[in-house]
Amino acid sequence: MRTTRILALVSAGLGWAGRGAAQDSPLSIHGLGMPGRVESVRARATGGAFAAFDPLSALVEAPAASASRLTATAAIASTYLQDDFNGTTGSRRTGRFPLFQVLGSLGHGVVAGGGFTTYLDRSYRVTISDTITLGGSGQAVTDELASDGGVTDARIILARRFGRLALGAGYHLLTGSTRVDAVRRFTDTSTYRGVSQSDEIAYHGAGFSASALVTLPHLWLAGFWRSDTRLTSEVQRATVTENDLPQTVGGAIRWQPAPDVNFAASLLRRSWASAADSNAYNTTTWSAGADIRLGLPVRFGARGGDLPFGPGGKAPREFAVAVGSGLTVSQGRAVIDFAVERLRRTTTGLTETGWTFLVGLTLRP
Amino acid sequence: MTSTGRVRATVVLAIGVLTAWACVENISSPPVCPEFCPGGGIVTVESVLTGAVVRDSSFTGYRTANESFVLLASSEAPIDSRPIFETLPILTRIKIDTGTDTTTGPVVIDSVRLAFSWLRRDTTFRNVRLELYRLPIGLDSNSTLAAVIPAFGTPLRVVNLDSLLVARRDSVTGDTILSVDTVRRTVVVSLKFDSAQAPYSLADSGRVAFGVRVTADSNATLVLGSADDGRGPRMTWFNRVDSAGTLVAKAAQPRGLLFDTFVTNYSLPALDSNLTIGGIPATRTLIRFALPRSIRDSAQIIRATMLLIPTGPPPVATRDSVFLLVSHLSADVGAKSPIAADTIGAQSPVFVAGSSDTVHIEMTTLLRFWQFDTTSVNAAFLSLRALDRGLDTLRAAGAEGASFTTLRFFSSRTPAFAPALRLTYVPRVKFGVP
Repeated sequence: MRTTRILALVSAGLGWAGRGAAQDSPLSIHGLGMPGRVESVRARATGGAFAAFDPLSALVEAPAASASRLTATAAIASTYLQDDFNGTTGSRRTGRFPLFQVLGSLGHGVVAGGGFTTYLDRSYRVTISDTITLGGSGQAVTDELASDGGVTDARIILARRFGRLALGAGYHLLTGSTRVDAVRRFTDTSTYRGVSQSDEIAYHGAGFSASALVTLPHLWLAGFWRSDTRLTSEVQRATVTENDLPQTVGGAIRWQPAPDVNFAASLLRRSWASAADSNAYNTTTWSAGADIRLGLPVRFGARGGDLPFGPGGKAPREFAVAVGSGLTVSQGRAVIDFAVERLRRTTTGLTETGWTFLVGLTLRP
Repeated sequence: MTSTGRVRATVVLAIGVLTAWACVENISSPPVCPEFCPGGGIVTVESVLTGAVVRDSSFTGYRTANESFVLLASSEAPIDSRPIFETLPILTRIKIDTGTDTTTGPVVIDSVRLAFSWLRRDTTFRNVRLELYRLPIGLDSNSTLAAVIPAFGTPLRVVNLDSLLVARRDSVTGDTILSVDTVRRTVVVSLKFDSAQAPYSLADSGRVAFGVRVTADSNATLVLGSADDGRGPRMTWFNRVDSAGTLVAKAAQPRGLLFDTFVTNYSLPALDSNLTIGGIPATRTLIRFALPRSIRDSAQIIRATMLLIPTGPPPVATRDSVFLLVSHLSADVGAKSPIAADTIGAQSPVFVAGSSDTVHIEMTTLLRFWQFDTTSVNAAFLSLRALDRGLDTLRAAGAEGASFTTLRFFSSRTPAFAPALRLTYVPRVKFGVP
């Protein structure tokens, strides 16, 4: 009974948390936005190193072949970020609902699944005070430019195991929208009227992915590929722009030297440079982490690499360390995972640091 | 509670706190531009549209002298203007008894009071003297200055209004200042006529016509309220009734006007290809606007100013404080276009005619309204209004056909000096482009 109440509370909390998105950043102002994270909370606690072997992460399909029961997971993330623009500082707080995945067996060894994650986040608000020349004299103005929303990756996957080899494939529907606002206010309201414009940008796109997972004694090897087509942006049903989306290739290795000790590492390459005209870069990211059972699981890891969009002529860099654990309740039918991540992003003129607190709920009814 | 239970309770509590904390969002970043500001932001454009005013014309006859809300008196060369008015008749016989006896007796006039409103009083004028003349009855809208001027011989009364305003009451003549409204710049004056001066004529049933002339040390102008505005002169006849040689007191008989106007040597300059505004009868200019579609449909106007360039010094310039009112139309049918019944409009600053400076009229509200209501007629009347109260109110208020001031501006038929719109606007922001 107590467990039921716990699950109800967590479920209500996750539902209350709002729409899906990833960590926003001033870097999401550039290019197409800030790529979202596709790991489940337990993979995120290892810096994402185990994502390629985690059936509930949305990175690779093949591990889903090991799912024998209907399983669902969701995550909530709360991020506190501090920006330092060469002395000009600011802080932001965001609450997000970045992941939801469901898996279930279709029989004959085939597992199907689906869910959504954040593909790109385009949330920002900038308030600019300036003086412009009108009628030959300076007029003080305050501009507020804001975008709220992003692109969601909704996927459907199939996976099957063939002995030591598991194969998976997925179809990705990219959809979503951002609410954009541009407001200009004049200090001299008796002479000049303020203006405001609001619109909603709708996004459409698609992608395909495939992956393979080889299981060896105490060792797992994963390889994956994904190709996304083009992202179409529409305002009032009129296409305003189309952007190429990246190809993704990557690999990961997991080593289990002892039954309760796991180590993993991954490497990922994405061709974001073709997505925007300038200030877009191909990215290479890595992660490494461990999952050790000491009664409760102890997970930790680190990740790093490039971010695709940013000013200054070179790709912004990101580095994060994470730690987390999990709690199994209701005779194993539910798992509550939690993690905390410390991240640092750097680019020309900006150093961004922050904490992300994550809670995940996994149900196996 | 077991230790496992305490752990679970702690975890659940932590999740609850985190969940609540996650619902607070602040995504504002410090503005560090251009590196970390969105591109393609808000751009403000200033442009003078010389072709935005089209098919402009002037029409006259909107408010004639006898329809005016004021009676203009002026002896300031070259204008000679004199208010004339005729009062309603009174009862020449009144019931003697208040009971059932219907026997009447002839009225005997004891005295008469003439009250009038002195409007737009200019405190810089000195020794403004009102001369009141008795005129033959039978005034109408065809009365002219030339026809009535022979009657302006010996004045019935001459009243120094400035002196009366200081004293408030003349104990000799009985003239009184009834009220002074400094906000509306209105003074109500009551003049007394004793039985010898009382212009009672039994044959005319008490109807009496007056003419007013004004003199002053300088700037000899006087503005009186008219019956059309409910502020016209009023006569109050104090009378008794003759009952077989005994005079019985009776209630006074107040009377308004049968007719009022002012006659003048002013004549409206002939309309030509330019734009004429003001004068009497009131002349308006109909202006039609043709905004480029790119601005009307897509841009947001933050300031719109209409520029009117005078052809030269005004054809007629008085010392009246005037302003131009822009009234948008509910339909465009030319000279008889109806003015929309709302408060959306524009007006120029208050000015005194005399210079050849360009007149600027802020039109932002009106143009934004036209953007909002795409079915509305993009046309407006320009009329000249004489300021009838102080500028301490939010909007200037004034009446049309209440000043001889007549302005003339270049029309669209003179492209080099045509009316123009100076627009400050923000083109549509192109969202969605990285």
